[in-house]
Amino acid sequence: MKKRFEKLLIDFITENKENMYCLAFSYVKNAENALDIVQDTIQKALSSSETLKSEGSIKSWFYRILVNTSIDFLRKQKRIQVVDDKTLEFHSPTGGDVYPDIDLEKALEELPHPYRTVIVLRYFEDLKIDEIAEVMNENISTVKTRLYQGLRKLRIKMSDEILEEVK
Amino acid sequence: MNEQLEQLKSKYKNTPLPDELDFVVKKAIKQSKKRHVGWMKNLVGVGAAAIILVTGINASPAFAKALSDVPLVGSLVKVLTFTELKVDEGTAKANIKVPAITNMENKTLEAALNNKYLEESKKLYSDFTAEMKELKKNGGGHTGVDSGYEVKTDNDQILAIGRYVVNTVGSSSTTFKYDTIDKKNQLLITLPSLFKENSYIRLISENIKEQMRHQMKADPDKTYWVDDKVNFESFEGIAKDQSFYINNDGKLVISFDKYEVAPGYMGVVEFIIPTHVIADALVSNVYIN
Repeated sequence: MKKRFEKLLIDFITENKENMYCLAFSYVKNAENALDIVQDTIQKALSSSETLKSEGSIKSWFYRILVNTSIDFLRKQKRIQVVDDKTLEFHSPTGGDVYPDIDLEKALEELPHPYRTVIVLRYFEDLKIDEIAEVMNENISTVKTRLYQGLRKLRIKMSDEILEEVK
Repeated sequence: MNEQLEQLKSKYKNTPLPDELDFVVKKAIKQSKKRHVGWMKNLVGVGAAAIILVTGINASPAFAKALSDVPLVGSLVKVLTFTELKVDEGTAKANIKVPAITNMENKTLEAALNNKYLEESKKLYSDFTAEMKELKKNGGGHTGVDSGYEVKTDNDQILAIGRYVVNTVGSSSTTFKYDTIDKKNQLLITLPSLFKENSYIRLISENIKEQMRHQMKADPDKTYWVDDKVNFESFEGIAKDQSFYINNDGKLVISFDKYEVAPGYMGVVEFIIPTHVIADALVSNVYIN
């Protein structure tokens, strides 16, 4: 049983290594640290494959390790992170200004982790809401709220399709 | 999906992939397969080696004696490397150099300092091995500690030794500690002992703030946390026993660890305090002039 999961896990890792790297990079913003996180994540995943319950949950289980490893890494550099939060406040006017698109990317980078993570996982990594809830160990309505608030902070125009999902 | 999100997504998906990615992934998978049996044995080996090294230092009065019998070169107080603790386990590296002061007439002070250096180094080493063990349990990762010393000043009057510790876990942090010794009178100099009263704290702090502002103005690449620019942990003033030493020109140098008053890229920062700033508060001009 364990052997089979391990094999599946290695296949999953090999197929998704680019995605893993992009996600790690979106947190740490440099290649060297992103590679470290990819490496740590693989080792953690393979050494704890016994905690994996079923074949179907590989994706969210693995993303959970990856996201936690990335956030742990940033937490170790906390003093730098604190500046980011301050800058965020400074850069997020509460008025109705529309961000020019050049700033959209910057605004995404400066979103606090819980908001940024749901947006990245939902729209860039195409995870479903319930999968994201598993990754972040939160309930589904929390994920929806964060997604909605995150999009609002980015001043993304929400189509009916998006609104339908986060309601 | 909406256009703005599409744009962000394509930017995200186009993150440049480094050539090493394949290699790192393959290596991580391979290591995990191998690791199941190997590491426990390794760790026992490392532990045993550490015990032998540390007890070696403790249980060898002959070795300690041999050091204090180093032929007198003049009758100068000297600093030499007492011992080195080394570990190289691939992703876990430690290199700890322990300094020892010899030829001091004040043997009590000499012993006290050397003992302190040894104790601190042993602590570093045991913290490191504990962390290494923890990391291995959690599936590996990089860790490292590099410690050693620099003789900052060595003249007729003053011997200043700076001991540094660089911790590498993801990013690195550096701390520096100094001991400044009066060679003539065989005394350990502390910062408060240089001054008549506590006014030096304010005098030095103000001067450092001024230097920070000045440096930032002159070079936009420099950043210090001063004047509440980022309204957290802005530099308010030095500690009563702030790290310091006296340099070869007889000037007081105040030192801050990495992250203490500036972002990480600034590293360890030092400020030379112009003597005229503190002249009135000094007890004498013997050390600082």
